Amino acid sequence: MNVAFNIFLYVVWFLATYYIVLLILIVLSKKDDLFEKRKFDFKKPPFVSVIVPAYNEENKIKYTIASLKKIRYKNLEFLIMNDGSRDGTSREVRESIKGDKRFRFIDRKQNMGKAATLNEGFGLAKGDFVATMDADSMIEPGIFRKVLPYFKDEKTAAVTVSVLVKNPKSFVHKIFELEYIIGLSLFLKIFSTFNAVFVTPGPFSIYRKSSIEEIGGFDVNNITEDLEIAYRIQKKRYKIANCMDAKVYTILPPTFKQIIVQRKRWYSGAIQTLTKHKDMLLNNKYGLFGHFVAYNYTLIFLGVCLFLFTLYMGFTNVFDNVMYFRHTNFNFWEHMKNFEFDLLAFGRVSFLGAMSVTFTMLMLFLGLSLTKNKKSERKLGILGYPLLFFLYQLFWIVSIIAVIRGKKIKWR
Amino acid sequence: MEIKKSVFLIAFLITIILLLSLLVIGSMMNEGRKKYVDEQMQIISSMSDINIYILMSDVYGDEMACLAFESKLKDWDKTLWDLGIKLERYRVATEEFQKDPFYLENKKLFNENQLLYMLFLKRMKEDCDLEKSIVSFFFKDSKECDKCDDQSFILTDIKMRADEDVSIFAYDLDLDLSNVRLLADYYDVEDYQLPCVVVDENVFCGIRSRQFLTEKICEFNPGLDFCS
Repeated sequence: MNVAFNIFLYVVWFLATYYIVLLILIVLSKKDDLFEKRKFDFKKPPFVSVIVPAYNEENKIKYTIASLKKIRYKNLEFLIMNDGSRDGTSREVRESIKGDKRFRFIDRKQNMGKAATLNEGFGLAKGDFVATMDADSMIEPGIFRKVLPYFKDEKTAAVTVSVLVKNPKSFVHKIFELEYIIGLSLFLKIFSTFNAVFVTPGPFSIYRKSSIEEIGGFDVNNITEDLEIAYRIQKKRYKIANCMDAKVYTILPPTFKQIIVQRKRWYSGAIQTLTKHKDMLLNNKYGLFGHFVAYNYTLIFLGVCLFLFTLYMGFTNVFDNVMYFRHTNFNFWEHMKNFEFDLLAFGRVSFLGAMSVTFTMLMLFLGLSLTKNKKSERKLGILGYPLLFFLYQLFWIVSIIAVIRGKKIKWR
Repeated sequence: MEIKKSVFLIAFLITIILLLSLLVIGSMMNEGRKKYVDEQMQIISSMSDINIYILMSDVYGDEMACLAFESKLKDWDKTLWDLGIKLERYRVATEEFQKDPFYLENKKLFNENQLLYMLFLKRMKEDCDLEKSIVSFFFKDSKECDKCDDQSFILTDIKMRADEDVSIFAYDLDLDLSNVRLLADYYDVEDYQLPCVVVDENVFCGIRSRQFLTEKICEFNPGLDFCS
C-alpha cells in the first residue's frame, strides 16, 4: 500500500478524465460544425501575402513553392525569405519561382532566426491578411477562400487550419500522424470554441496584419514564436479561429533523433512562453484562456510526475522480481504455468488505469471518425499510440531538464 | 461556433459519476474478495473435522481413518495454499488508503488453521505412512527480515514444482499468535535468525537456496515423486 501514490493517482485521474470527457462532449455537440464552410462573400477579395521563411530547405522548398503555384486566388503575393541558408535553398527558390510574378524572393545572407524573418516579411507584405508558412509544408489550392471568411468577425486576429502529415511512411511517422490529426487539427477546433487556442501552428496560419502590428510582431527571443504570438493575441482579447476544412500538409523530420530535437524545442518553448506570460494564468481578465492553459500545463506536469513515479515503481518491481527469480535459476516457466487470472486481485487503481486507456482510445477513435480519417488505414499508428504517450512524457522530461539547466535550445 | 458554459458543468458531473462508479465497483470488488476469503476460511475451518479423524482412529483403528481422510488431503492442501496466497494479494488490492482489519483478523485465523492442519498432517503422516514432506516457514515483515521475501519466493517455487508432495506452512511471527510463538519456541527459532525453515523437524535458519532445500526434502523423504 502506497497511500501517497494512490492519492496522487486519483487526483491526476480526475483531472485527466475531466479533460477528456469535456473534449468528447464538445466534439459530440459540435460534430456537425467541425467542418463548417463559411461563405466567401467579400465584395472585393482581400489582398493576401504569404510569407515563407526558409533556412537550409533545399530539398523541400520546391514542393512548398509547387503547392503555392497551384493557388488560383487572385489578390495574392508570395514572399520567400531566405534566412541565410548555407545550402542550395537560394538556387532552388530562384529556379522554382521562375516565370510566376506573384513571387518575391528576399535572399538574405545573414541568419537572423525565424521570428525576425517573419517580422521582416510582415514589414514587406502588402496584404491586409498575412499567412505564414513553413518551407517544408504544402497547402491546398482553395485554402484562402476557406479561411478568409473567418476574418469577417473583426475580433478575429488569426485563423489556424488542420495540420496533417505528408506521406507518413515509417512506423514512427504513422504514430505522430495521429498526434497531428487529433492534437493539431481537432483539438485546435475544440479549443477555438471557448477561445483557448494557444498556438498558431508554423506550417500554416493566417493573421490580420493590423492586429499583429498592434501587438508588436513575433518575439525574436522565443524559440516557439508561433506559440508565443498566440498568447499575445489572446492577451489583447482577440480571437483565434480554426478552419478544419482547410488543410496544410507538413513533412515530419526524417529521423527519430530529429523528431526529438523538434519536440525538445516545442516543449522548452512552451515552458519559456508560459513563464513569460505567467500573469495570464488563472486570470479572469483573459476569459477561459488563462484557466485552460493553467489546467492544461498542470495536467502535463502532474502527468510527467506520475509517469516518473510509475516508472520508478515499475523498475523497482522488475528489479525485485529479477532478484527473486535469480534464486530459482530464472524458472519463469513454472510460474507461468501456475498463472491464474483472478479479476478479484485487481484493485481500484487498476480500474482507474483501464478507464483512462479506454477514454483515450475512445477519444482517438471518435477523433479519427469525425475528422473523416479511416481507422483501417491507420491501424499501425493506432497500435503504436500508447508508445506515443510514453514518448510524449519522455519529451517533456527532456525539455523540463533542459529548461532547468538553462540549456540554450536550438532550432535544429 | 461557441460552446455553452453548461458543457463544462456537465463534463464535471460525468467525471464525478465515473469516479463514484469506480468507487462503487471497487467496493463491490472488496466485498467479493472478503466473501471469497470468508468462504475459503469456512472450508479450512471445517478442518476441525480433524477431531472426527482422531475419534475414528481411536474407535475403528488407523486403517479406517486413513482411508476416510487421505482423499480429502489434496483438496485441503490446495485450499490452504491458495488461500495463503490470495489473502496477501487481496489485502494489497483492497488497502488503498488504510489498513483493513478484516485481513489482519483473517491472517490470524489462517495461521491458526494452518497450525491445526499441520499437526493433523503430521499425525496422519505417522499413522498412515504418508509420503509427504512437511515444511514450516517462519517469517516477519520485510522491514525486520530483509531475506524473508526471498525465502518465501524460493519456497513458492518448490511448492509449484513439488505440488502435493510437499506441504508448506508459512507462519507470520508479526501476528504474535501464542500458538505460533509456541511452535517457534519449540524449534528454537529466534526473531533475529529469520527466515527459518523447518523441513521434517530439521531447522534451517538464514536464507537457504532452492537446491539446498530440495536436497533436504529429498534426503528426508526419498520416496517422493518430486525427488525422482
